[in-house]
Amino acid sequence: MRATPLQQALLYASVILTCAILVFPIYWLVVTALSQPDQLRQLPPNFWPTEPRWEVFAKIFEERPIFRWLGNSALAAIGSVTISMAVSVLAGYSLSRFRVRGGQGLGLFILTAKMLPATLLVIPLFGIFRTVGLIGSMWSIILAHATLIIPFTTWMLKGYFDTIPRELEQAAMVDGCSPLGAMFRVILPISAPGLAATALYGFVLSWSDYAYARTFLTNAQDNWTANLGITTMKGEYVSNWSDISAASILVALPILLIYLFLERYLVGGLTAGSDK
Amino acid sequence: MASISIENVKKNYGALEILKGFNLDVADGEFVVLVGPSGCGKSTMLKILAGLEEATSGTVRIGDRDVTDLAPGDRDIAMVFQNYALYPHLTVAQNMGFGLKMRGTPTDVIATRVADAAKILDVAHLLGRRPKQLSGGQRQRVALGRAIVREPQAFLMDEPLSNLDAKLRVTMRAEIAALHQRLGVTTIYVTHDQIEAMTMADRIVIMKDGEIQQIAEPDTMFQHPANLFVAGFIGSPGMNFIRSRRRDDGRYSVLGQAVALPAGGGAPEVIVGIRPEHLTLGPGMLTIDIRPTLIEGLGSEKYVYFDVPEDSAIHPATAAPDDGRKAGRIIARLMNAGPIKIGEALTLSADPARLHVFDPASGKALN
Repeated sequence: MRATPLQQALLYASVILTCAILVFPIYWLVVTALSQPDQLRQLPPNFWPTEPRWEVFAKIFEERPIFRWLGNSALAAIGSVTISMAVSVLAGYSLSRFRVRGGQGLGLFILTAKMLPATLLVIPLFGIFRTVGLIGSMWSIILAHATLIIPFTTWMLKGYFDTIPRELEQAAMVDGCSPLGAMFRVILPISAPGLAATALYGFVLSWSDYAYARTFLTNAQDNWTANLGITTMKGEYVSNWSDISAASILVALPILLIYLFLERYLVGGLTAGSDK
Repeated sequence: MASISIENVKKNYGALEILKGFNLDVADGEFVVLVGPSGCGKSTMLKILAGLEEATSGTVRIGDRDVTDLAPGDRDIAMVFQNYALYPHLTVAQNMGFGLKMRGTPTDVIATRVADAAKILDVAHLLGRRPKQLSGGQRQRVALGRAIVREPQAFLMDEPLSNLDAKLRVTMRAEIAALHQRLGVTTIYVTHDQIEAMTMADRIVIMKDGEIQQIAEPDTMFQHPANLFVAGFIGSPGMNFIRSRRRDDGRYSVLGQAVALPAGGGAPEVIVGIRPEHLTLGPGMLTIDIRPTLIEGLGSEKYVYFDVPEDSAIHPATAAPDDGRKAGRIIARLMNAGPIKIGEALTLSADPARLHVFDPASGKALN
């Protein structure tokens, strides 16, 4: 059934409106970053600064250790995602493929852990890390982020593995692979889109964390992550929102780049053709 | 190539018995088809043979080796799956050579064997493609190719044609049969399609509810079914079953006619089976006057349905898988019958020598 012109117009209007709602905060972040501080509270607002302050980004790099913050965020994200993927690939695969006593209950327990808000775990984690002397160490947020990411990634990967026909592993085993060999040689290579999407999701979870970094790293200035660092740019009485916005853009850029790099995996359909 | 021996294999899932003591000896080079309705345990038996499922008890031997506890890869068998199970991230050549690579075969030997198999299966021009770039028939050929390059002791095939369209299925059926003749590898083939079983098998093993009903060559199974289930399952359309009571004169009443059935052995009641193709137009030794209730024309032949009193015709589903016939309805398969109209009087006949007689209590064949 073809849509009428009115239906098409409504469809496009709703798509444009949705995109506008999604993009506007990013656009306004850019406008704020490029505006002179005295132009920020103008009414009516300027939708594009008369003299954009492109130099604001260079200024941020000069005044703040933004590279170190980004590096710390990257270290936390890569570390926590590496641990999480190593655990959740095996856990997700086991939950998907093996019927063991208590397996379903374990799966539900992981699902429940996923529902707990991160802030609820801050206090017990703080207690544990203080006991083992990890407060202020990068390991504190790497491990804390892993506890946050693993339940999500395990369930995401279980769902992904569920969609892969079991006959592929069976064929690999008949061809001479061990069960683990079948997983590494056949299942993981064809799960690249699922693994990429899951890793990216974990990376974003870690990258966007503030609560854990604030709790575990406040007194270790060298280990501040980007999000924690940006919040220190806010003064007690005066805040330079242009600088904060510019720093926020710099912090968001790596995620955008990673998404662009992984995009072909995320939209892949690599399993197409394995069966009927 | 090797013989296969399956001794008293049982498979239970908790209280559920999937296989109730399966025994089968397959000769070296033989093509055996396991056939039966869904849930009869045929695919489970194949997976146990492949090592993909563990038997609850029993022994499996391939050649002179007891492989019951061996991993699938150590059994020296190759399997073709219903959904092909081609590795999507590998090319056709890599798919076909995967098993050899896993066994540490030198690269040049793999290349030679893959090229040879590709030539046999006419997929040589597809070796660089990935599975998603192939049609259903091509995927099936590659799946066969993956099996044959290994030069295994036996091929196991799990409904390999059921995802193909009807025309391609007929073509591939003939190709698999030809391949078997050429390679002579012991093959166990699972299907629910009795036509595949009849056309391809050296011997058919027909199963129901985890039990073997009959093991026989296709012609034997068709002409001498061991019981009501086999009689109804083998043949298309399935056999008609009619309840028949002994008359005072010792003969039996079949559709109102008195017929001598020595196989009945004087039992007060038997079930008589008539294959649809054994009902012919015109009068004969056992003549029936009917009025067709439905006619299906298939070009050279017609399926003519007619009703008989419900207490005499048995619903086929009670004896065999439901083929859509309702109780009291009989099918005649008439060749070159000319014009026939629904409701018009028609005379059919059957040769009493071709009637099958079954014991109503056990369902076993009496002749």
